[in-house]
Amino acid sequence: MTVTAASPALLHGVGDRALSWLDEHREHFRLTPDDFVNNGAVVERLKPIGELALNMQVLFREGVAGSRQKARAGQLLDFAWRELLDGGNVLARLQHDEPLSPVPLEVYATFHELGHRHPGLEAAVEVCRRTATWTALEMMPNRRLGVLNAERKLGLAPSSDFGEAVARTWLGQLPEPWTVQLHIAYDITHTVFHLTNWGEAPDRIPPDLADYLTRYLPAWMDDWADLEHWDLLGELLVVDACLPRPTLDAALWERYAAAQSAGGAMPIQRGMPEGDPARVFDLVHHPTLVAAFASAMATSRAMSAVR
Amino acid sequence: MIADAATGVALALRGEGDPYALSGILRQEDALTPAAVRVLGADALAPYAVEHRAVAVGADDEAVVRQALAAYPPGADASAVSAWTYRGLVEAAHAFLPGGAPPWPPPPEAGTGWVESDPWPKLAHRASQLAALALPPLAPGLAEQLAGRTDDLARGFVRAVRRRDWLQAAGLGRWLARLPEAPQTLGLDSGLAFVRQMGGTDPRVALHVAAARRFHGRGW
Repeated sequence: MTVTAASPALLHGVGDRALSWLDEHREHFRLTPDDFVNNGAVVERLKPIGELALNMQVLFREGVAGSRQKARAGQLLDFAWRELLDGGNVLARLQHDEPLSPVPLEVYATFHELGHRHPGLEAAVEVCRRTATWTALEMMPNRRLGVLNAERKLGLAPSSDFGEAVARTWLGQLPEPWTVQLHIAYDITHTVFHLTNWGEAPDRIPPDLADYLTRYLPAWMDDWADLEHWDLLGELLVVDACLPRPTLDAALWERYAAAQSAGGAMPIQRGMPEGDPARVFDLVHHPTLVAAFASAMATSRAMSAVR
Repeated sequence: MIADAATGVALALRGEGDPYALSGILRQEDALTPAAVRVLGADALAPYAVEHRAVAVGADDEAVVRQALAAYPPGADASAVSAWTYRGLVEAAHAFLPGGAPPWPPPPEAGTGWVESDPWPKLAHRASQLAALALPPLAPGLAEQLAGRTDDLARGFVRAVRRRDWLQAAGLGRWLARLPEAPQTLGLDSGLAFVRQMGGTDPRVALHVAAARRFHGRGW
């Protein structure tokens, strides 16, 4: 019994609509003067900007965007770097206030990969990276993997061993798959994102982890599709697209696509929230970014299967 | 009544309680007995597969089983689950209630096309409904075919536990205990213990978990 794979048109359409929505709502990514009052708020607002950049980078890298989509993604990226981050100054300021926070490094790494530079930030981060504190900082194992991946993106020597960091994650220990619940599932997806540099190098998933995911991912996807948890389902669909033999399950993708709003936004769970546009943006920007990411990865895999 | 009978079987499989006798738990004169035997299927006779824990009460047990077989013969349009459950009871009668006059009917044919064609969620659901057939040495052909879909049954187990569908999880866990290559990473032993802990108040769940332990040494 094999699973029917979704058509490239179905896969691509989800991302195309998501990108349109993100572009049309780009002003909502902007930090406000209120945000700058405390760094906690800045970090909160930087997260979606970093994710936006990641998505645009995935689109370029996978080469699945049409010319219109590509132009749109390029403009969004410039907007993010120049206007939202003030050419990296927003990151440098946060780093100056919180020298040990990995957030500026993580956000910067993506822009750096895309060719943007802020030498002042790089110099400041390097000083902190050479402290013993940098590697001693306590954080979730999959977050540690994220920091190591950010260092790798910048071409820096990793501050600790990548393989050991993988082994400390939940996924790295291959525990009982029936214990997976919501936050474990997100730990799994993020371990895969960092391991593969957001889908760039799927072959970095060690074979035993890939076997484990191949075996159990369908059970998790099916269950969270039934729970209509589109945010998590989207992340799981990215993981599927990173596996040696992705299923690109047509039935799941059809349900996922059907959950998308007419404008291209993806709700977190069940239906679209209503009300104040800024609040709606806060609620749906993440699942919508995930939809663009999942679409780019799956479209790329579907096309390479055809080629 | 079905719950009491399932509890009796589970106790016998765990080596607890009085020696098991089908006709002691389900009396022939009770109007609900055929329905209870039908639901339990081959499991009504499972304790007889365990040495020393049961005393087959010859003619009385035989009468109870014959009565159930006569009451629910699967028609031509019977579902795969009905046909297989019936067949399981016939196979179990052959295996555990020897003798008998007239002889037991031959096990009726039951289709296996679904084992190959069902998508995994449906396969898992059906297989769990047929967990009584995981009783060795019944249905060797079915077990062999299901072995080809071990990963799909493991997926079904994961999904069933996630959904807290303990009966489905217990049935699938029992099959996986019988199959030769349940994946190591599934954690079947702790999984069966977890299912019993969470859902064992349902006697049918307790029965499947006890059978996995008794006949295959899985779970704890």
